[in-house]
Amino acid sequence: MVFIVRYVVRLKPKPVGDFLLCVGTAPGISASPSEENMRYFNVMILGPSQSPYEGGVFKLELFLPEEYPMAAPKVRFLTKIYHPNIDKLGRICLDILKDKWSPALQIRTVLLSIQALLSAPNPDDPLSENVAKHWKTNEAEAVETAKEWTQLYASGT
Amino acid sequence: MDSEDDMHDANDAESMDDDYYSGDTAVEYSEDDDDGDDDGDYEFDNDSVDSDDVSTSRRQQKNYIALKEADIRQHQENEITTISTVLSISRVDASILLRHYHWSVSNVHEVWFADEDRVRKAVGLLERPVVRFPNAKELTCGICFESFPLDRISSAACGHPFCNLCWRAYMSTSINGGPGCLMLRCPDPSCGAAIGQDMLNLLVSEEDKEKYARYLLRSYIEDNRKTKWCPAPGCEYAVEFVVGSENYDVSCLCSYGFCWNCTEEAHRPVDCGTVAKWIMKNSAESENMNWILANSKPCPKCKRPIEKNQGCMHMTCTPPCKFEFCWLCLGAWSDHGERTGGFYACNRYEAAKQEGAYDETERRREMAKNSLERYTHYYERWATNQSSRQKALADLHQMQTVNLEKLSDKQSQPESQLKFITEAWLQNVNVLVAGGRFTTITATTTTTTTSIIIIAIVAIIVECRRVLKWTYAYGYYLPEPEHAKRQFFEYLQGEAEAGLERLHQCAEKDVQAYLGPEPPPTDFNDFRTKLAGLTSVTRNYFENLVRALENGLSDVDSQGASSKTATTKSGAAVGKGKSGRGKSSRAGGPSKNSDDHGSWTCDQCTYFNPRSLPACEMCHQPRRNA
Repeated sequence: MVFIVRYVVRLKPKPVGDFLLCVGTAPGISASPSEENMRYFNVMILGPSQSPYEGGVFKLELFLPEEYPMAAPKVRFLTKIYHPNIDKLGRICLDILKDKWSPALQIRTVLLSIQALLSAPNPDDPLSENVAKHWKTNEAEAVETAKEWTQLYASGT
Repeated sequence: MDSEDDMHDANDAESMDDDYYSGDTAVEYSEDDDDGDDDGDYEFDNDSVDSDDVSTSRRQQKNYIALKEADIRQHQENEITTISTVLSISRVDASILLRHYHWSVSNVHEVWFADEDRVRKAVGLLERPVVRFPNAKELTCGICFESFPLDRISSAACGHPFCNLCWRAYMSTSINGGPGCLMLRCPDPSCGAAIGQDMLNLLVSEEDKEKYARYLLRSYIEDNRKTKWCPAPGCEYAVEFVVGSENYDVSCLCSYGFCWNCTEEAHRPVDCGTVAKWIMKNSAESENMNWILANSKPCPKCKRPIEKNQGCMHMTCTPPCKFEFCWLCLGAWSDHGERTGGFYACNRYEAAKQEGAYDETERRREMAKNSLERYTHYYERWATNQSSRQKALADLHQMQTVNLEKLSDKQSQPESQLKFITEAWLQNVNVLVAGGRFTTITATTTTTTTSIIIIAIVAIIVECRRVLKWTYAYGYYLPEPEHAKRQFFEYLQGEAEAGLERLHQCAEKDVQAYLGPEPPPTDFNDFRTKLAGLTSVTRNYFENLVRALENGLSDVDSQGASSKTATTKSGAAVGKGKSGRGKSSRAGGPSKNSDDHGSWTCDQCTYFNPRSLPACEMCHQPRRNA
């Protein structure tokens, strides 16, 4: 538990309850632990500007497994998103969540990486085959779809 | 090879005599005769080819080394020392470097001297720290963010500080995650500094240290291009192979023979591709096959396997076939009635066979060969030879332990010495058989050597069974249209199998009398002559078989014409038989000798018979010009 508390403290210098934290260091990202389970975090990421996800508010869940920080946290999108590296269950294809995990990485860096992934989709290493194909064959159209989905599912209402 | 010399010594001790049938020497290997005097006696086959073969097999004897764990450690240590000395780096760094380049010393030299900086970067060998805290009294761990006094903080060459507790957890997680721990790097995501065994040993538990050391040892074998573990279950030895050698068959110290290329059981002369296909097919079909064989008959019309699930003999095949037939005779049910002996005990089959009415069925069977039946044919024979081999192998182990103990009591020779001699023998048997060659046996006077001979013969049987077994996989994949090749192959295989059956019978059953408490001394000379004859005959057959398969049955093309005429006259097998026989009687260096000692070679089957017999013991052919 010591670990978690330290993480939470690091991630949230302000008292619990303030959702939009670390505005200076990680703009557009918030994480707060669940009331029942300190290992479970409710995460919100704002769609980065100049990306198809701009203006969207994406909800994610983040869970710190027993082995954390020696094992990577488990992160999943709860909001539907049209992205070649995120499948329809919200699972994310990101190396630092898998084999490139290091205990010196922090929740903050993980969430920043996910935000960066929204800015720079990588259809060459896809998780969702169809979306990636769409992205590669007709990027403009795919980006349009992503914008539509952002409107539909992530408009923050 | 040490064992060879030792074996000679051992034989010398028993007053070894070079003469083939002189009665003193135990067993001879033609390849082992340095003086070459005896070679003439063993010229069983095409002379010019033979001398080439001998030199080839000499080369082949040296194309691999079996390694025990201590040897592996020694090799690994030596290579680390070499690299550490030549590159002037620590042993730990040398070990990391070697592992990264698959334990190839030459490769490490090459890349290091081409671009040292690039290599250092790729492997994570830093020359100086990337971060320094010269005046710090306390440092913050980069994982748990607690502050610790310096003595509770450690870092790799890069200097990134982490507390010992986090290090321990980090390393332990990695070690328990598998051999990937050998590539452990500093936890800092931007840093690639390699973590060596020295640092690890300071921080992790004894159990983890041991695991790591084991992974490191395993890596030396598994990541190395020239070494592999022996695939035998429970065997902990490895084999180092001279890459580029032609003959892939290697034999581990545990006596398991395997193919270095595909690590399946040794399968010379059949190639790896055929073996892989065959094994794949077996794993897919063998269980089905066994069940089908035991529980079903093919429908006489559509050939689908049918299980009889009710008592009545009146069978009706499932649609669309719907053929009604009798389970006993597989004839159409419509032909049945009281005149066939009743519905439930039909005697129609016997009657019909006499009238030749079953040709139609036979023809259909022929047509169905391509499917299940054909596979079954080869599979049954493959599997039977496999189990015979296992049996012989069990006998071999039993003989090596039990009989040697008994003998050592009787002969008051230390068991260890006997064991030693036997092992030397077996070593050679393996080498020779791997080269496609077999031992020849001469007579002996002592029980000790008899036992050893028999053990050696059983070892030969084990190897012959192996070769024979794989020829069935070969046969299955031999293209059907290659008629001449197929006939030639089946002839060679048939001869080899028949020879081996005789030898196996002799060594398994007939031998019992001589292993008893009081071996009958009078019959013994006959027996050993018989064994000698059978062994050389079998050896000859197997040499022919192995050689023919290795050159892809190419003899058929050159002999095609003669084979055809033979076929028209009296069947190809006989035609081929003549050439086979010709070889065998030329093999008869020994038979010339043997006249002096009384044994004679049968003209028909080449079997060596004792003088006392007027007709061949094997084929009952009367002795010529007795």
